[in-house]
Formats: sequence, C-alpha cells, structure tokens
Amino acid sequence: MKERTDVLIIGGGVNGCALAYYLVKRGANVTLVEREYIACGSSGRNAGGIRQQWSTRENVRLAMGSVKIFERLDEELGCETDYRQGGYLILAHTEEEVKQFKRNVSMQKSEGLEVEYLEQDEINDIVPELNVEGIGAIGATWCPSDGHADPIKVTIGYAEAAARKGAQIYKYTEVLGFRVEDNEIVEVKTSRGSIRADYIVNAAGAYSKEIAKLLGVQLPNKPYRHEILITEPVKPFFTPMIISFHDNFYFRQTPEGQIIGGWGNPREEPGYNYESSLTFAKNMARLLTKYMPKLRHVNVLRQWAGLYDVTPDARPILGPVETVRNFIQMNGFSGHGFMVAPMTATLIAQLIMGEKTSLPIKDLSLERFKGEVVKEVSVVG
Amino acid sequence: MMDVDLRIYEHPILRFIRGRAVSFTFNNRQIRGYEGESIAAALLAAGIKVFRRSMKLGRARGFYCGIGKCSSCLMRVDGIPNVRTCIEPVRGGMIVETQTWEPDLPTTMEFDVKREKVDVDIAVVGGGPAGLEAAITASKLGATVAVIDENYKAGGQLIKQTHKFFGSVEAYAGVRGINIANKLLSELRKTKAHWILGSSVFAHYSGSSESLLAYGGGRYYRIRAKKVVYSTGAMENMLLFPNNDLPGVYGAGGVQTIMNVYGVKPGNEALIVGAGNVGLILGYQLLQAGVRVRAVVEIMPKIGGYKVHANKLMRQGVPILTSHTIKEVQGKEWVESATIVEVDKNFNMIEGSEERLNVDLVCIAVGLSPSIELPAQAGAKTSYIPELGGYVPLHNKFLKTSLENVYVAGDASGIEEATTAMFEGRIAGAETSASLGYNVQRAETIVENTMRQLEMFRKSPFSSRVVKGKMKVFSMMGDLT
Repeated sequence: MKERTDVLIIGGGVNGCALAYYLVKRGANVTLVEREYIACGSSGRNAGGIRQQWSTRENVRLAMGSVKIFERLDEELGCETDYRQGGYLILAHTEEEVKQFKRNVSMQKSEGLEVEYLEQDEINDIVPELNVEGIGAIGATWCPSDGHADPIKVTIGYAEAAARKGAQIYKYTEVLGFRVEDNEIVEVKTSRGSIRADYIVNAAGAYSKEIAKLLGVQLPNKPYRHEILITEPVKPFFTPMIISFHDNFYFRQTPEGQIIGGWGNPREEPGYNYESSLTFAKNMARLLTKYMPKLRHVNVLRQWAGLYDVTPDARPILGPVETVRNFIQMNGFSGHGFMVAPMTATLIAQLIMGEKTSLPIKDLSLERFKGEVVKEVSVVG
Repeated sequence: MMDVDLRIYEHPILRFIRGRAVSFTFNNRQIRGYEGESIAAALLAAGIKVFRRSMKLGRARGFYCGIGKCSSCLMRVDGIPNVRTCIEPVRGGMIVETQTWEPDLPTTMEFDVKREKVDVDIAVVGGGPAGLEAAITASKLGATVAVIDENYKAGGQLIKQTHKFFGSVEAYAGVRGINIANKLLSELRKTKAHWILGSSVFAHYSGSSESLLAYGGGRYYRIRAKKVVYSTGAMENMLLFPNNDLPGVYGAGGVQTIMNVYGVKPGNEALIVGAGNVGLILGYQLLQAGVRVRAVVEIMPKIGGYKVHANKLMRQGVPILTSHTIKEVQGKEWVESATIVEVDKNFNMIEGSEERLNVDLVCIAVGLSPSIELPAQAGAKTSYIPELGGYVPLHNKFLKTSLENVYVAGDASGIEEATTAMFEGRIAGAETSASLGYNVQRAETIVENTMRQLEMFRKSPFSSRVVKGKMKVFSMMGDLT
C-alpha cells in the first residue's frame, strides 16, 4: 500500500466511488479502501430509483443537482448506466397525505421542479394498469423527470473512471484503527498496512457508525435491514417508479421487463441482518398483486436484503466533525444514498478542495443533532 | 399439411404406454397429444421445433434440457407466459403459443390457487435415485417424509436409462435404470411418504424450523420440515460454438427424455458431442430409436466412458472421433448441418480438417453441473470443486452441509452417478432420521454398511477424480467447524 495520500475514502459504495472520481478530477491524490468489493453493500442492493420529490428543501436541491449530473453521466464516465427518466408516481391514500403532498408540490415547484398533483381519476393516465380504487389511492404526485438507473453500473462506472484518472482503489482492505494527534488523524491502519492522509472520509454506509466508533465519535445512525425482490421479465408496460408511503412500498419495471420493488417492515428491528424473510415475500406478493392484479401469474426470481443507514431525521450526515478535524462524514443516507450520490460527492469534493460548495451543507453536519431537527417524511422506512 | 407423427411405436427394449388422446392448439393449429406427455414432447412429435424467440435478437429457440432446468422451452400456456413446456403435461383444449421477444403479461385473471400446508420431519427435494433412497430409508425408520419434485414423473434421470447398471448387487447391478426407478417408486409407495410432484420448490427460509415454498399444478405449498435433503441433481453443460442456440442442438439428457420417456424420435441424423458414458450410452439409445448416428466427437485424445459402451457403438459402425470437436452448426430456424473439426494437442482447431455433416440433431454430452441453487439460497457454504463438476455445497461424509438442518445427496453434492447417488441418499435418509431420534441404532447400522459399500464402489479407477474432489470437500468442511 502506498505511504500517503491526500484523501483516504473508506467505503467502495456509490458515494465513496463518486467522491473518488470528483476528487481526482480536481487533481487530488485519492486512495479508496473497501472491505469487500465495489458495490457489495447497499449500492449493489437497491432498486436504482432516482427521485426529486422530497419534503425538505435541501433534499430536493440535492436530488435536482444529482439528476442534472445523471442526465449526462454515461458521457462523463464513458459507460452505460441504464439511466432512464420514467418518472415517479407517489400515491396518496389519506387526506393528511393529500395535504402534505400538495405542500410538497408547491415547495418543489418553487425550486423549479416540474411536478404536479394528480386527482384520483388522473392516476391511470400515467399507469393504466394500476388498480387505483382497489388500493385506496385518492391522489398522487407525478414528476416525469424522476427516474432510475442501474446502481451497480453507476458505482462501478465511477470507480473505474476514478481509477483511470489515478485513484488508487484497494479492495478487500479493512480499516483496523487510527492514530490521532492534536484532534487530527495522522495515520490509518488497514489490513494492508498503514497510510497517512490529510482527509479521511467515512463513506462506509451502514458500517460508518463502526468506523466512527474507532475514533470515539458517536454517530446516531442505525442499520436497518431492507428487503427487495425481482420477478421474471414481462414485456415493459410501465416506466415510472410507483411509491406508497402509506403501504411502505415501491416498485418499478426494469428496461428488461423485470419488476423490482421493496417493502419496509414497520416492525423491523435495527441490526446487521441480511437474511431474506418469508414475511417480506408474502407481503410483497400481496401488495404487488393488489396494485397490479395482472402480475398474479408472474414469478418471483430472487429476493435479497441490504441495509439502510438511518439517521434520526432521515437526512444524511455530511462534512467534518468537531472532535476530529480531518474526519469527514458522508453517510446516514437513510435509504436514498444512491440517488443523491452524484451531488453529495460533488459537494464533499468541493469542501475538501476548499472550493465554495454549490449548495450549503452546514445544516447536514453531525452537530445538528444537538438541537431540534427537521425530519424528512417522504421515505419508505 | 400432412400430419407428422414422430412417435416411436416399435422399440427393442421399451414399450410406450400412452394415455388418452387429447387435442390442444399450438398457434391456432390443432395438435394431437396423449395424456402423460409433456407439451414439449407432443410438439416435437408433431415436428414442431421452434418454441419461442429470444428476447433481444428474436432468434429461434426450442427444447434443450427436458427436465425444467433451463429456460429454452418457455411458452405461453392458457394465457400464462414463461411456462416450462418440458415439464408441463398436455391437457385437452389447452392453448399453447410461441413467445416472441419479451413475453406479454398474463392475459388470464383467473387465479384459483389452492393452498396446502405440509408438516413433516424430513423434506426431500428431488425425486431421483438419491432422493428416493433418502425418502425410503427415512420413512422405513419411522420419520415422516415429503418428496417434492418439479417433474410430474418421479424417478429423476433413471426413468430414461435403458441400459443395465454395473457394480454391486446391492446397487442393482444388471438391472436397467428404468426398472430401478420402478422398484424404488413401488417401494416408496409402500411407505406413508407424502408425494408432491409437478411442483417446484422455489424458496427456503430458516427460522424455528425450515420452511420451503413450492408451487405447481395450481397448488401452493408451504412445507415445514425439521431436516431438508437436497437431492436436486444436476444440469447439463452447454458448449460455446456459433449457432449453439438453434433448435436441434439439445442436451444429451434432454434427448434421452424425449426418446426414452416419451417415445418421440428426436431427429433423423445425429451428431454426439462428448464420448463420456452419457454420450456413448445415448449413441446406442439413438440407434435403438431408429436414429442414424453419424459420429461421436470427443475433444480429448481418449474416449472418456467405459470401453464396453464404446465397443457396442463401434460394432454398429458409429465412428468415435477423438481429438475432434464441433466447430459450428448451420441452419435458419433449426439445425440443418454441423461442422466438426480436428484439434491439436493444445485443443486448437486444425484448419483444413473441417468436415460438414448433414445432421438435424446435435446432442451435447459434455458434462453436468450440480444444481445447488436451493441449498446455496438457504445459506449453505459452497466451493468450486472442478473434480465434482463445479460449485458444490460443502458437506461432511454424512452428507450434512454447513447448515445444521440441511443435507445434500447425489449429483447435487458433486457429479458422480446413479449408483453412488443411491448410496448417498440412503446415508442422508438414515442420518437425518437418526438425528431426530428415529430408530437410532438401526439407522447407524444402515449408515455404516452403506458407507462401506460406497467406499468399495469408489475404489474403481473411474472414481479416483470424484474421490479427490470429495476429499477436498470433506477437508474444507472440517476447516469450517
């Protein structure tokens, strides 16, 4: 392993790899360590949704910034990411949701997002096969520029583009400890040897909390299992991602025709659990066939699980911490780290390089949890 | 159009007893079938070879494995896409359609599924020689057993073996495979074992007990078991060459199924790729069915299978060409000819040595890979062991995997043969029963005796490779614990 680097990134997920790319692009000397292989964690396990419809302004901005990057990402990285703007249809089931969604839409519009509120009888114009009445949807919001991409291709695309520009990527390399002097990390001990770095970025996803613990830094993040499944392919017949916060459920169809989706079990306990459950399979089958009765004879091919790295307000933790000055957080994405990665990685790269960040990120620092927090409510938890 | 019927009505060894004649439609055309036949068998008997079009390039695809393990024969049946027609029985009045490009959504909204809960001590997944032996042994020792198989005919690959087995008398030496299957099936029928045929196990969840999900024939099963034996067999390997996806290029085992189980002539002129036992035995089975075998090609400089099988074939005038392989096949919608080529000692094709054979059937007999998806999904540790045909679940000599309640037996634990599969099945059946406290002493005696027989059988030089592979597996398994 090399002796020193400007920036050491811990974690070969989409955020770590994207950050490596934007840093080397700016001329920094970058090293990335990954305990297993690229995209082995949540980046390789999610459904690839990319949406801009959020309830907090900063998430909308992060997401809109990311979409601008996604639109040109294939060209930028020189690879295929299967990015498509098929839209997101978010269903409202209660009057309360209708009120919240209308508020969201007007805030999102003020940010320049092309988004509209749909009445019940307009929903089938977007997805004719959706059983609107059967599922009790009374309204929806629709943003056609939302979409999806293949998260594994995006992550590997960033990693390879970064490596081509000189980033050093060490796979199967574990961080074992740190040497700290005067509130600064001076050396990182890994299973491949020690390395010195000016900045150390904690992008270890659901394991970020464990990395921080090695430095005595307490992160409020908790790992939650999130399960997901995919079916056999049928001829593509809808393009949007369909979400219901009410049913804690989302699904879309891949360009190859497979239906991919997930359901959050409200009774899920925190923990590092990757097991597939029968409860999930049963609930997904029930929900999918209720939402689209035509899916009844479609077979499930695989189910698997990943981890959400959840913070108390469901917003990420970005930037330095008070106690260890050169230890930068890039974690706590709470289940939507993939879709905002291009923008968050750009912001952290700007921060490290001493540039003005294109969006303010101070409100997303770890210190925010000392005071009162504004929770992101548009999440499948 | 003339009615084509490729069914075999006279055969030197087999008698085909067909069920009631039924009629169904294929792309708006009336096709005759017989109850007990698979859709694929009835279509091939009617001379239909193209079953679907590939999703991206629209290429013709047809039959391949014959036992529900590949996706080559998927068709739309009564409005439901992606039905494996090789393991779906014909029913009068059914509507069978070719799938073109990507399959359309199901058009039927009927979903009259019956649910059944099954609670047993031991679930045996796969009803071939290993599974049947495991189920018989465990049932006789007093355990409650369910046997699940995705084929609607039990017996695994034994039911298509017309040749007599070698080896010891305890392992049915001198008996034809098909008769061994019948014997095992009638023995199992005498027990109280629960049969679930024509149903695929598609999931395994562990919890306070093991839960398997299976679906087939309009029935959805939730099977709870204390122990699970996976005797899921193997899948035929494919070979890379231009046009290898054309209908007419079939797995050797798939051809045996069509010809020996359903009595349908798979072609008129055949080329066999691979001179291991499967390729050689298939050679004279094809001759028995009235198919002309133009050649058997073998890339290695030596014939891999038993000499007695090779001699039998050569006496009939079939050339076995060693250091030869297939280069490509030609044809528009199905195989019209194939090019074979000689290879040098580094297996490179020798230019100028090509020969084109006018065949309509190319049988691929180049080995098998263990079907380990379910134990792997359950979390059993696996490893790549080339001597055993690929990835296998690690296991000890009692066939227990890295999971306390999961066992493997037969080809799923490493490619070997039917005789050893039966021994392994018996060991797994006795071990699982003993671990649950059934007739422990008797069970242990069975294990001991069977282990001895297995060792004896594996002393043959033909087993040395397998023994080496098994040793690796046992030692890796030992390192885990």
